[in-house]
Amino acid sequence: MTMRRAVFGLIGAAAFAAPAFAQDLAYETIEKGRALVIAGDCVACHTPPGAKPFSGGRAVETPFGDILAPNLTPDRATGIGAWSDEEFVRALQQGVGRDGEHLFPALPYTAYTKVTRGDLVAMRAYLNTVEPVHNPVEPNQLPFPFNMRFLQFFWKALFFTPGEYQPNPQQPADWNRGAYLVEGLGHCASCHSAKNILGGDKAAMEGGTLQNWFAPNLTADRRVGLGAWSEDELIEYLKTGHTARSAASGPMAEVVEFQTSKMPDADLKAMAVYLKDIAAAPAVKATPLAADRADMQAGAALYADNCSACHVGKGEGVARLFPALAGSAVVQSDDAATLLRMVLQGSRSAATDAAPTAPAMPAFDWKLTDAQIAAVVTYARNSWGNAASAVGAGDVKTMRNALKN
Amino acid sequence: MGSSRAPRGIRRRDLLTSTAAAFFVFGAEAALGRTVKGGLPWAPDSVVPPTPVSAVGWYFFTALEGAAVEAICDRLIPPDDGNPGGKQAGCAVFIDRQLIGSYGAAERFYMRPPFATGTPQQGTQTQFSPAEQYRRGLAALDRYCRDGLGGKGFAELPAAEQDKLLAAMEKGEAQFTGVNPREFFELLLQNAMEGFFADPLYGGNRDMAGWKLIGFPGARYDYRDYIGQHNKPFPLPPVALQGRPEWIGR
Repeated sequence: MTMRRAVFGLIGAAAFAAPAFAQDLAYETIEKGRALVIAGDCVACHTPPGAKPFSGGRAVETPFGDILAPNLTPDRATGIGAWSDEEFVRALQQGVGRDGEHLFPALPYTAYTKVTRGDLVAMRAYLNTVEPVHNPVEPNQLPFPFNMRFLQFFWKALFFTPGEYQPNPQQPADWNRGAYLVEGLGHCASCHSAKNILGGDKAAMEGGTLQNWFAPNLTADRRVGLGAWSEDELIEYLKTGHTARSAASGPMAEVVEFQTSKMPDADLKAMAVYLKDIAAAPAVKATPLAADRADMQAGAALYADNCSACHVGKGEGVARLFPALAGSAVVQSDDAATLLRMVLQGSRSAATDAAPTAPAMPAFDWKLTDAQIAAVVTYARNSWGNAASAVGAGDVKTMRNALKN
Repeated sequence: MGSSRAPRGIRRRDLLTSTAAAFFVFGAEAALGRTVKGGLPWAPDSVVPPTPVSAVGWYFFTALEGAAVEAICDRLIPPDDGNPGGKQAGCAVFIDRQLIGSYGAAERFYMRPPFATGTPQQGTQTQFSPAEQYRRGLAALDRYCRDGLGGKGFAELPAAEQDKLLAAMEKGEAQFTGVNPREFFELLLQNAMEGFFADPLYGGNRDMAGWKLIGFPGARYDYRDYIGQHNKPFPLPPVALQGRPEWIGR
């Protein structure tokens, strides 16, 4: 090697060294951001089925009308490529758009406000790396008067408390990590908390109804909540979508597929620790309906002929394949929306790397009348130790019509 | 050699070069493995439910033909001890609805000539579809009855004479014009049994009469709760695709 060659070599190496160091930092931030974007399940709303990731346009159904999730790709014209980090952080922490407009809480900034600035900047860094897609989206599809953005000012005053998550010093680190994920990025309360008439949260984590699904109570209530679940079961559910007693389907199947199954085990454990510590409201004393009622008798016949082949004779189910109905929160919840639509329309459970089978429940809307579905559902809600209110044929009819639209 | 060599199949060198070429053109792409992830496709409202047939009237038979088939079914499966026979169980209705559909039109059979006489194991080799066999067979039966048995149709004959005629058909002894009586009898017997045991959705087996008679539990597919209970009768009544009376409100 000549002297000259060596010198050029050294200059070349120096020229690469500085950017390489910066790139490592960026790589770490981007990977951290990727994990956080998964934990925030951003893809669920911002990617319509079959579309490019984060290209926007999927309708988020709210009780007030549809809101289309915007394009989050780095496209400068139609995505968020032209946004500054500050604007991105402000949108998620304060629900304020790039031009200072109030955002609709379909973007769950009531939860994302708890996410730290550092985490949000990392998420932004990751989103900058996805493929830019030119896809103009007008989010506001709401009817008058809900489409008036300035009204959000009053809504925020009533229902929005901005502020990053403040760790509870009385609790261990994993509890705090769990709370940060559950209440912040995971935005579990968006579905699992009931909404008041204006769409604000009430009765935190005691279950909520949306898009004709009922997201069950996540408090420690033994009958309708997570009281009977162990931490390990919760972790298994979030990781695989299936446990000995339950299976994720509907919107929760998407959550498991896109979000929780891809999260690190330590985060799932933290979420389970926190979820197991959410106190229940005082339990309502529930007594099963008498087995000799006409609907219970018909329900028993319907159950034996239509349901027992998978869910087994006494509602015990088959572990990790067919959910148990005995002791099920979905079955016993006051709001039978999920149960009814399961019977009417069926559903496919989550498919994850750990549990790829994804068994599906078949539809029975073509086979059973409203009265028959009411009877079989009432029977399942009041057998094998279950206790819940009766479901009427009118409830079934309402759900049947809602699913047709 | 050279041009004097007659073509004699593929030469070794040609095979090797063409295989190699084919590999480069097609093989490289096809040889790549692929990992398929995610659940199977699933969509709501993708059920194609079976359509129950109408219970009233004839769709294929004339009134006279329908009465004859009902009478035949009632002799093949006579009512006894309060159990309905073939007529009351709707076997003729079942056959009628089958004959206006794909079965009647022989859509699933090979129906091209030559039509040779096969061995008994080879089944019917007729050029006529089931619908045509019924039309021709019932016409021949009616002519046979009116010409030889006192001017009455089959349905009007006393039960004993009906049995005698059916027995003669089964043995191939009844002289029908243009129709093989034994083949027609076998078709009737086969279809009557199908009507007696098919799901009530298709018009026969009314009120699951056939299933109740033989103790068939119907459209069930899981017996885990009972499989260990040896020498005990299965406790549940039969169930049809459209349910059973205990389901209320049907």
